[in-house]
Amino acid sequence: MNSHRLAAELRKIYPEDRIITGELERRIYNYDSSFMARFHNFMPDAVVLPRSTAEVSATLRLASEHKIPVVPRGAGSGETCGCLAIRGGIVLDLSSWDTIEEVDSANMQVIARPGVVHYKLNKHLEKYGLFFPPDPGSTRMCTIGGMVANNSSGLRAIKYGTTEQYVLGLEVVLAGGQVIQTGGVRCKALKNVSGLNLTKLFVGSEGILGVITKVRLRVWPKPRARGIAMACFADLNEAPAAVLDVYRAGIMPSGIEVLDASAIRAINLYRPDINLPPSEAILLFEVDGNPASVEWEGRQIAEIVGKRAFSVEWSTDPDRMKDLWRGRSVVAVAAARLRQGGSRIFAGEDISVPLDKVTEALLRIKELSHKHSIPVVNYGHIGDGNVHTAPVINLNSPEEIERANKLVDDIHRLAIELNGTTTGEHGVGAVRNQYAWDEHGEAVNIMKRIKKALDPDNIMNPGKMLPAEGDTGGV
Amino acid sequence: MVFEELSDLKEHYLRCVRCGQCRSVCPVFEEVRNETAAPRSKVFLAHMLSSGELRPCPEAAAHFSRCILCQACTRECPSAVPVHKIILAARSMLAREHPSRIRATIFREIWTRPALLKLAAGFVRCSQSLGLVKIGQACGLLPPAFSLPGRLPRRPALSSLPEITPAAGKLTARLGYFLGCSTNYLYPEIARSTVSVLSQLGCEVVLPQTLKCCGLPQLESGELEAVAPMVHDNLATFKRLGVNTIFSDCASCTATLKELQVQQLFSGIEILDLSGLLLDLLDNYNSGIKELNRVATYHDPCHLAGAQGITLSPRQLLRRTGVEFREMKDAGNCCGGGGTFAIYHYDLSMKILSKKIKSIEETGADTVATFCPTCIMQLRHGLAKQKLAIEVAHPVQLLAQSLKTGLNTKKPYDLAGSKE
Repeated sequence: MNSHRLAAELRKIYPEDRIITGELERRIYNYDSSFMARFHNFMPDAVVLPRSTAEVSATLRLASEHKIPVVPRGAGSGETCGCLAIRGGIVLDLSSWDTIEEVDSANMQVIARPGVVHYKLNKHLEKYGLFFPPDPGSTRMCTIGGMVANNSSGLRAIKYGTTEQYVLGLEVVLAGGQVIQTGGVRCKALKNVSGLNLTKLFVGSEGILGVITKVRLRVWPKPRARGIAMACFADLNEAPAAVLDVYRAGIMPSGIEVLDASAIRAINLYRPDINLPPSEAILLFEVDGNPASVEWEGRQIAEIVGKRAFSVEWSTDPDRMKDLWRGRSVVAVAAARLRQGGSRIFAGEDISVPLDKVTEALLRIKELSHKHSIPVVNYGHIGDGNVHTAPVINLNSPEEIERANKLVDDIHRLAIELNGTTTGEHGVGAVRNQYAWDEHGEAVNIMKRIKKALDPDNIMNPGKMLPAEGDTGGV
Repeated sequence: MVFEELSDLKEHYLRCVRCGQCRSVCPVFEEVRNETAAPRSKVFLAHMLSSGELRPCPEAAAHFSRCILCQACTRECPSAVPVHKIILAARSMLAREHPSRIRATIFREIWTRPALLKLAAGFVRCSQSLGLVKIGQACGLLPPAFSLPGRLPRRPALSSLPEITPAAGKLTARLGYFLGCSTNYLYPEIARSTVSVLSQLGCEVVLPQTLKCCGLPQLESGELEAVAPMVHDNLATFKRLGVNTIFSDCASCTATLKELQVQQLFSGIEILDLSGLLLDLLDNYNSGIKELNRVATYHDPCHLAGAQGITLSPRQLLRRTGVEFREMKDAGNCCGGGGTFAIYHYDLSMKILSKKIKSIEETGADTVATFCPTCIMQLRHGLAKQKLAIEVAHPVQLLAQSLKTGLNTKKPYDLAGSKE
């Protein structure tokens, strides 16, 4: 179908102000945060902004009839090209469909449309003394639909888990336009084991199985107190060991973040006023709950970690907590300061390894950094082994870009070798699907069969998550 | 002058990782609600323009014009990308590639020459008096944005204020008054209050009669070449009058002078924040201050709060005027004015404004104060459209009202301004 005809057909579904067909505007839908997107032109044939299930359904019927790829998109804050039209087609920009349909505080759940921004949802829930616990770094812009499609998590996953643990049910539009409810058509129960768990199938499916148009989320009472402990280590090995010590003492912090020596150096270069003590690693423990338990757990952590760290500070004072957290909050921008004219890239940025392999992962990433002569900054959610590596490169050098790609490949393969995964929370998209066979083996064929059953014409976000056609991985 | 071309900003736009955090603070994005309005899309297109992947075209110019330059994105950016500078540089490049006779005439020929600008203001006032503007709007020949400034006063501030106003009492400071175009032509009553208050507080106020524009309208419209000569002329004028310490009652003027790094480039020049200056002077003022029977709220202008980080002293100043102060919700959110933005994108500007008006109304205040004449224009327009009896004032006007001794003007406390 040519672009004029496609636009004409879409005008039958959408008002003019919710269809984008101009070339310049379509080019704008050519990016997300990924490194890969910088070097490709993934321009869609059209962009539409749905605000109803009927519109999405009609779009998918049209796409199915003419075998046009359909790519759902939230805020475009991802790092994997997941929301980009790598094979052209229609982008569904769902970010303006942001209605919170119901807060059912008596039943501890909320029903939201896909475009609701995470931060705004939690702001709204505050009135009810509730919150949606997964806490991605992109809270201010990422959407609930995007979080569900990528099974996002973030800083507090060690205590609260990932998005999937909170999704009670979904409304999904399938490739042919059929609308289904998962988790029960009328169900409002918090527990439900009737039927196959289709909700879990769609959570984290990155738009390859259908379009999520409504989400029923379980929410929690908002903790009343919070405290932060910062511990500095002279030996990198001591940091993961200290984390295990805390777990063994029966304490589950809400977050444990790590900054390695490269991150500490970058932060001090960027903001000398933050003045982090020169260390091989810094750990930040966040504890939340009721005031008495927070105080007790915080002091326990300080005592336990103090046996390995050369300094520990614990605080529940809001201003001091802000100070202690400042290093972590600026690390993303600070990374680029490691070198003049350097740019931080999002690639190889999300491996997750077993807890007892975190030190090895950090040390070997440092070796790989030297091997490829690409400086990196390491930080992340050490509490669940999720390491965020930030390569800093000169984007003007094609040769360096090539080396960066090799570094990233090595980091991904290292994660698999250490019995971990190439992605802990950011997803696969079009940047990590080449590792599918290595990570999942024969199970990839089952994934392909599920995809085929739900999307026989492969119109739903093609080229993402699953290995490319023809890539049999030697299985 | 510090004018950065797109190519000079390469390091900055390459640093943009397109995370999208700018979406969370952009007032234009909040209304348009699709990616084409996200500030990062402008950084993305600027990169393409610079590399030649995108040829300068009217569509690109339209895209870059859809920004208020409130700088919220620059402040929010976790990668410290100066988004507003990139947008200004892109506008400049586009203006060079697609010169417009009308734009050049207005911003380069007229706006840079005080005599011609005065003539143009007179022409607009005459057209308003003869009802031509209303007729033009009714016939659809003039856009609704022409209603924004309201009725222009007969005489600009410069016609009624002397070059030197001596201190009323003991001299504590000699200050240069950078009188902005908006205050001069739209709100001369603010200028009169400013001069009078400072004089009462012991300052000699030097107001050059040949002052030119600060350069913001030219920067905004991409006519960069016009800016440097004006700034040089203005500083030479102050130097000739023996003044190194400059203030303005217009947040946009001081923000522009700071953005152009005037203080760094012209040694000895100091640009003062008026709210901080007035607070310092009030500390030494012994004649007492009259309580005002007003409930006032405060709107943070983007060019003061955002660009200069000044939020506390204006509020402290308001409290010193004896008003009952009430904070409004989202006081730091843009009002949608942004100089030429409200003219080119009137409907969008009005949508942004309506949220601000709602915040003001919710406070129950009878007065809203702000430090920017463009914001004053925008807020008055919005309040009048909704028929709300809330006055918009510059804090210096409220201070003038609350100082016990009066001013030497006929109607010193007419906040809306005398139409003579």
